[in-house]
Amino acid sequence: MSTDDDSFHPLGEEWEGELETMLDDTEYDSELGMQMAQDAMAVTKGELSEAAFHEKYHDDVMAEFGEDQRPTQEAYEQAQSDETGTVGRMLDKFDGDGEESRRETMKKMGAAGAAAVGLSAWGAMDDGQPAHVATAEDGDDGGDEGTQLGMVLDLERCDGCLSCVTACQEENQLDQGVNWMYILDYEDSTPGGRNRLIRPCQHCSDAPCEKVCPTTARHTRDKDGLVLTDYDVCIGCRYCQVACPYGVNYFQWEEPDVSTDEIRDIYSDMDGDHMTDDRDRWVDSRAPRGVMSKCTMCPTRQDGHMGEDYVGTTACEEACPPDAIQFGDMNDPDSAPQQYLSNVVQSRARMQVDGQSPNMEEVQESYDFLDEEIELLDMEFMPGPDRDEIEAALFIQGEIDEDDLSLDEEELRDVLLDILDDEFEDELDEEELSEDDLESIVDDLLDGVEDGDDIERALAAMDTVIADSEDAIQDVVDRYESREITPAEVEEALEIVDGAEPEDVVISEGGITDEATAQQVLEAYAGDDASTFKLLEDIGTNPNVTYIGNEPGPEAEQVDGPVAYDDVGLTDNRKEVLDEETVGDFGVSL
Amino acid sequence: MSTKTPSEADILRPIDNFSKKYFILFGVAGLALGAFMVGWMYQLWQGMAVTGLSDWGSGGGVTWGLYIGAFIWWVGIAHGGIILSAAVRLLGMDRYMPVARLAEMLTLAGLSAAGFFILVHMGRPDRMVTSVLGHYHITVNNSPLVWDVTVITAYFVLTATYLALTLRYDITRLRGQLPDYLEPVYKVLTLGYTKKEDKVIERMVWWLALAIIIMAPLLLHGGVIPWLFAVLPTYPGWFSAVQGPQFLTIALTSAISGVIILSYAFRRAYDWDHIITDDIFRGLMLWLGFFCLLFLWLQLQQLTVGSFAPATDLATATDSKFSHWMYVVPMLMVLGVLAFIFAQTVRPSLFSKTRSIIAAVLVLMATLVEKTYFVIAGFWYPTFSIYEATPGDYFPSVIELLSLTGTIGLVVLFFLVVSKLVPVVELHAIEHLNGEHGHDHESDHEAATEPEVDA
Repeated sequence: MSTDDDSFHPLGEEWEGELETMLDDTEYDSELGMQMAQDAMAVTKGELSEAAFHEKYHDDVMAEFGEDQRPTQEAYEQAQSDETGTVGRMLDKFDGDGEESRRETMKKMGAAGAAAVGLSAWGAMDDGQPAHVATAEDGDDGGDEGTQLGMVLDLERCDGCLSCVTACQEENQLDQGVNWMYILDYEDSTPGGRNRLIRPCQHCSDAPCEKVCPTTARHTRDKDGLVLTDYDVCIGCRYCQVACPYGVNYFQWEEPDVSTDEIRDIYSDMDGDHMTDDRDRWVDSRAPRGVMSKCTMCPTRQDGHMGEDYVGTTACEEACPPDAIQFGDMNDPDSAPQQYLSNVVQSRARMQVDGQSPNMEEVQESYDFLDEEIELLDMEFMPGPDRDEIEAALFIQGEIDEDDLSLDEEELRDVLLDILDDEFEDELDEEELSEDDLESIVDDLLDGVEDGDDIERALAAMDTVIADSEDAIQDVVDRYESREITPAEVEEALEIVDGAEPEDVVISEGGITDEATAQQVLEAYAGDDASTFKLLEDIGTNPNVTYIGNEPGPEAEQVDGPVAYDDVGLTDNRKEVLDEETVGDFGVSL
Repeated sequence: MSTKTPSEADILRPIDNFSKKYFILFGVAGLALGAFMVGWMYQLWQGMAVTGLSDWGSGGGVTWGLYIGAFIWWVGIAHGGIILSAAVRLLGMDRYMPVARLAEMLTLAGLSAAGFFILVHMGRPDRMVTSVLGHYHITVNNSPLVWDVTVITAYFVLTATYLALTLRYDITRLRGQLPDYLEPVYKVLTLGYTKKEDKVIERMVWWLALAIIIMAPLLLHGGVIPWLFAVLPTYPGWFSAVQGPQFLTIALTSAISGVIILSYAFRRAYDWDHIITDDIFRGLMLWLGFFCLLFLWLQLQQLTVGSFAPATDLATATDSKFSHWMYVVPMLMVLGVLAFIFAQTVRPSLFSKTRSIIAAVLVLMATLVEKTYFVIAGFWYPTFSIYEATPGDYFPSVIELLSLTGTIGLVVLFFLVVSKLVPVVELHAIEHLNGEHGHDHESDHEAATEPEVDA
């Protein structure tokens, strides 16, 4: 957001100038306004405290406006009452507020400062940011409650592929059987629905594991609410593992397979070693021997050590093909998980329809072609034979001439041969014709020969290519107008439930989407709204993972999933690995 | 009852004499301890994977096993000290005076063994001091483990103080008959002693005993130790207010059993029939019977509540109790002991020292097995039992089993050494038996009240 000129405003000197002009039009002191704006910017950055800001301009504001209703008054009064005269306290007053959300602070700025400067700057910041980076910024700031990272897990979208487990294992260099992320299918007494559970650490707000830890090794990180283990402090008593209701802890019973040097090597490109976080504590990647570990929700990513792009992401979320994992600030209504949760049907439809065909653009093009507003070759969308074949066929038909042909001679010949291979497939199989014969037919076609059985057939094949193309396009429109829900109609429905007018959005009234049916279309496509739940919510751990889908009952029992852990190079049951090290294994169990 | 008169020479006999049997026992105990130490070194070298433990949940095992079961067991045994001391000093049950000091020493030995288990079961014992003490001011507010360590340490220190104070009386009076080469030890023990302090010390140890009797049974084995488990809501086998009292009864039964065995060993080794009399064993057996009754009664509470109309998770946990040998057999053993002791009450001729020893051994075995079952069954039947790998597999590995024999060896060694340093029977006891202090002898058939037990 920085500019090369001297302006304090993120949008630059010119914009600053324009704002100043706007201020000049008012009856109030522009210079005061600009100065306040500059300092307001400093407050949002945390370089100046609200109390200091308030104090600095109080007299001027009183003189200029006759009153000072700025919301920073509270901070000022608080600072006054806190002051006890120690030097440290006095110095602290001039530090930034730290946790205060940029947005929150800017919202609070009144009068000349924020309205002109802050909101426009905010607008500039938010434009065009991909969702996860916006989440990252949300994650860095805090609301009044502070950031609490967590997840929304859509169990209906999970397909049990174990990509997330693999990704976590690779990200953190975990041993076999140490499944910080874990997927399990289960059978339950209640019928219906998919029964699969995604089981990361829940990063509870009232984590029993933290409560029972005798050393504070298991702790909650202030800035984002992640529950982490300090590998340098942990004494390996395993009480956190005992206290955890969910079974997410994995003790490092033996020397880990991957050394810390190797980890450092793997992450040598990043800022940091994927082990120590911003507070210089060793909390990330696999644990050393004799110490407890569990899902960390990737703190070194959140700290920006892997680069800005990775802030607000986790390895599992990134790897999940059906986007079942939404990670972000559970206290921020605009974060990805909360947005997903606010309308599950929409969110699912949005994800499911991404990249599907035929979408709105494609259907629109199809209509345009059938309405003869565009030509076949004008279309980007080619549901039938591909562009090369169409071009070749049109060329042979004489519809287009050589200048319009994008194929060179050799390519043209190859395409024509392909078409003829299909047409004369039987004859080739029965060896009535050879490849050379086809080559000469191609020659004839290019020379414009029209007589002869084979030529006639070849020409007919050209016609067929065009006809197939047109049929395919017609087919798309037919599908759109039928009872089938095409991706295009899902897109229409999404826009309509987002608030667009149906007449502005819908491609043709022949389609099935209108205001009344939009939500039904989404539900039919992506599934009904499903219940949300938190695991073992009545235990009072306040987990920060919200699930969408079926909650496992008390008698639910794990069964094999579609993908076995062995199949992807992982191990499901840790004990099988550990038993190899057991001294005097009697081979029986109590 | 022997016709011999208890004398100072009697209680000094262990200190001066070294017999063949002593050395053999020393060797065996030393071997047991040594084997365990070797195992422990190997564990420190290779990691905890050498045990039969594993993560619970998807990990397919249990994360606390024999180490913790034995830990609880030893702390229970260690409660014998305060029970006997309190009985003598606070309740005036002078009959048990001859075994009081042995019991107190058993406390120190038992707590040492328990402390060993804490170290052994940790992944990073080297950090015990820095990590725990360094954050004590925070963790003492919320971690049951820290409470545990605090109370055990307090119990140890208080008992050691108690012993040190009461030893002064004996050492000063017996100084001339004690070996010279141990003079430095005695000097330290009797630092600043004057005869005037006797009465003061009497008062002090009375208050010490009171403090310990409130703390140890109520807050240690009836408090912080069961709380390790009982405060966790997702383990139906554990989560109950009954665990406090339940664990206390286990402590009481184990403690008395330990004292019975210990007393008998010393009596036999040093011909102390006239000091540690049959009377004492009869009395101890009665108390053992009473505590066994309480133990079984509280188990009955759990079985009833757990099986009448339980929630699904509690039902599973209770079902296991009814079918698993690690629960059923110990219960039957204790029931058998109780039955015998009841019979002995009705027909006193049934008493014999051998039978008492057997009873004590049975109770000790039962409590060890049941406690270990308690620990591992928690992980077998948690509320969140969805994992296919739960209940997990577990069998103590060789190193874990060695820890058991090793700590028993440790305790034996402790007594072998200590009995060579100081008298293990109070001089007061000898004086009392000879009627020198003008105390009234308690009636031999006292009522079986147990004020220090809060059921």
